[in-house]
Amino acid sequence: MSTSSPRKLPSWLWLVAPYLALLVVFLALPLANVLVLSFHRYSPVSIWEPTLTVENYGQIFTPYLSAITLRTFRIGLITTGLCVLLGYPVAYYLARCSKRAMTIGMFIILLPLMVSAVVGSFGWIVILGRSGLANNALAALGLSARIDILYSESAVVLALVHFLLPLMVLPLTASIEKISVRMEEAATVLGAGPVTMFRLVIVPLSRAGLISGVLLCFSIAISVVVISALLGGRRGRLIGNEIYDQVITAANWPFASSLAIVLVLSIIIAMSLALTLGRRKVA
Amino acid sequence: MTGKRALTGGNSDGVVPDDGQRDVALAVNRLVRRYSSDVAVGPLSFSIRHGEFFSLLGPSGCGKSTTLRCIAGFESVDSGEIVLGGRNIEQVPPHKRGIGLVFQSYTLFPHLSVFDNVAFGLKLQKVPRADIAVRVAKALELVALGEFVARMPSQLSGGQQQRVALARSLVMEPPLLLLDEPMSSLDLKLRTQMREELRALQRRLNMTTIFVTHDQTEALALSDRIAVLSQGKIEQIGTPEEIYLRPASRFVAQFIGNSNLVSGQAERAGDTLIEIVSESGLRLAAKAGTLRPGPLTALIRPERIRLTAGEAAPECRRNSFPAEIRSRTYLGEDAHFQLLVDGREPMLATRKMTDDFAPSPGQPLMAYVDPADVYILPA
Repeated sequence: MSTSSPRKLPSWLWLVAPYLALLVVFLALPLANVLVLSFHRYSPVSIWEPTLTVENYGQIFTPYLSAITLRTFRIGLITTGLCVLLGYPVAYYLARCSKRAMTIGMFIILLPLMVSAVVGSFGWIVILGRSGLANNALAALGLSARIDILYSESAVVLALVHFLLPLMVLPLTASIEKISVRMEEAATVLGAGPVTMFRLVIVPLSRAGLISGVLLCFSIAISVVVISALLGGRRGRLIGNEIYDQVITAANWPFASSLAIVLVLSIIIAMSLALTLGRRKVA
Repeated sequence: MTGKRALTGGNSDGVVPDDGQRDVALAVNRLVRRYSSDVAVGPLSFSIRHGEFFSLLGPSGCGKSTTLRCIAGFESVDSGEIVLGGRNIEQVPPHKRGIGLVFQSYTLFPHLSVFDNVAFGLKLQKVPRADIAVRVAKALELVALGEFVARMPSQLSGGQQQRVALARSLVMEPPLLLLDEPMSSLDLKLRTQMREELRALQRRLNMTTIFVTHDQTEALALSDRIAVLSQGKIEQIGTPEEIYLRPASRFVAQFIGNSNLVSGQAERAGDTLIEIVSESGLRLAAKAGTLRPGPLTALIRPERIRLTAGEAAPECRRNSFPAEIRSRTYLGEDAHFQLLVDGREPMLATRKMTDDFAPSPGQPLMAYVDPADVYILPA
C-alpha cells in the first residue's frame, strides 16, 4: 500500500475497484438487507413488520426444516465425496497425459458446464423416469429390475456429481500437473506401489487443488435449487427449494432470509475450516 | 582372474561370459529400447562388478538416461535382459526392484521433514520404529547432515537436498545405486566438493553405483570404469585412463577432453616410426606399432604439445614445428592457445602461463610433439 501521499489512492485499488464496486452494490448491500430482514417479524399483509425478532431462526429447528437442513448437508457431503473419488483419477490422468489428450479430455470434462442445469436435469428425468431410457434398457435386456431413484436424494446426488465434477477436476488437474513425475518415481523406487504412491505423494501435494475443488463442490451443492426442484421431488427437497418457496409462494421474506443467512454462514464456516486445515503443516 | 579381463573389455555387442558371474552385480545383455522405427537405444551390453563405480557418459540424447530408466524399471525393455544379483528383473515392477535412485532435480517430498523423507522407504517396509530412527540417523550422518533431521526440504540448500536424497537411497541399503546427473543442478564449487564426498562415501560403503552424466570431468574423476555412449550405442568401455589416453573412436576422442585430430596417410619412416602426411601437408611422426601404411586419424592431446618461445629452435628433432599463436584464452590454471602449426595445420595447445612464458597472438613459437604422444585411432 502506498502511503507516500495521503491524497493519492493506493494503486492496487484501481485494479480491484471495478469488481469491488460490483460486489458492494449487488452482493454486500443486498446481503446486508437479507441479514436485516431475517431479524424482522413476518407479516402476511406487508411481508415484514418493523419488529425485531429471532423467531425466524427458531423455525429452522422444527422437525420439518431440520430434516431439510440435514439432508442439504448430507447431499453436499456425499456429492463432494463422490466428486473427490471420481475426480482424482480423472484429474491424475489429465495431468499426466499428452497435451493433445489433455485438450480433448478437458473439453469432455467441461461439457456438463456448457449445458444449463434445467436442460441437464430434464435429461436425467428422461433417463431415470419410470419408463425412461434406463428402465427401457433393462426391460429390453429382459431384466425385471427397475431403477426407481427419480424424485429422491439419489437422483439429486447423481445429477449434482454430473454437474460439479468439472469443478473438482479442474483445480485438481492444475495441482497435480505441478507435481514432478520424478517425485512419483522417487516414491516408487523407495518401494511405494501405485496406490501407496498416490496416497503418500499425489494426495498431499495436490492438497491446494483438493481444497479448492471441495469448497466449490460443497458450496454449490448445498445451495442448489433447480436440480433438486426437478429431480428431488419431496424426498430430495433442499434448503434452496425452501428459500425459493418461501420467497415466491409464501412471500415470507423474513424466514427465507434467515434460511439464506444459515446457508451463507455454513459456506463461510466450511471455507474457513477447509482453509485452516489446508494451511496446517504446509507452512 | 579371466572373468575380470572379459568384463573390462566389454563392447557393444559382446555377451558377458559365464565365468566371472559370481562377481557381477548387474549385467545388461543386448538391451534394446525402441522409440520409433529409427530412434532406438542399444543393443547395449555391459556388466558391473560389486562395489564398482560405473559411469554412463555421453551427450544428451545418447541413451544414457534411457538405459538407467530401463534398469530402474521406468522404461520397458523391447528386448534383451537386465540381470541384478543373478536374477532377471525385467518382469519385476519398479517398486519391487529395491534399486536406489537419485535424480537430477530435487525430489525430496516437500511435505515431509528430512527425517520422514529418509524414513519413507523404511516405513513402507514396516521396519520397527526404533530401527528406523537408528538407520535414518546413521544415513544422515553419512552425508554429514545429522543435525538437519527436523528441517523441511525448503529450508535446505540445493546441495543439502541432494545429500538428503542420497541418504534416502542409501538408508535402504540397495544392491545397486543409480545416480542420474545428481550434481548437475549444483554450482561448480559445490559440485567439485560433492564429487569428492560422493566418491569417498561410495568407496567406504562399497556401493555398486551407476552414474549417468554428460560431464566428462565428473565421469573421469569418479569412475572405476566408464561407458561412453553415442546415439544409443556404446562407443567404448574402459577405465578413465583408457578412455582418455586410448579412445576407441573419433567420437570418444572428441567427446572426452580437448583433442587435435589429424587425418592423413601413413608412410613408413624407419623401423619404429611412421610418418603421417596430413591433408594440409603436415608431416607428423608417430610410433609405428602394428600399423600398416594407409589412411588414418591421429589424436594429439593439447597438453602434449610442448610450446617453447622463440623461433630459432634447432631443426634437430622430428615433430618440431614452427607455430604461430592465432588466439589465446587465459583460464587461470593454464591457457589455451589456438595455433597454426607449420603454417598449415590448426591445433589447440594448453600450457601454463608463467613469467617466462606469456606469448601473445602473432608471436612465433616452436611446437614439439613426442611421437609417443601421437595416438592413432583404431579403424
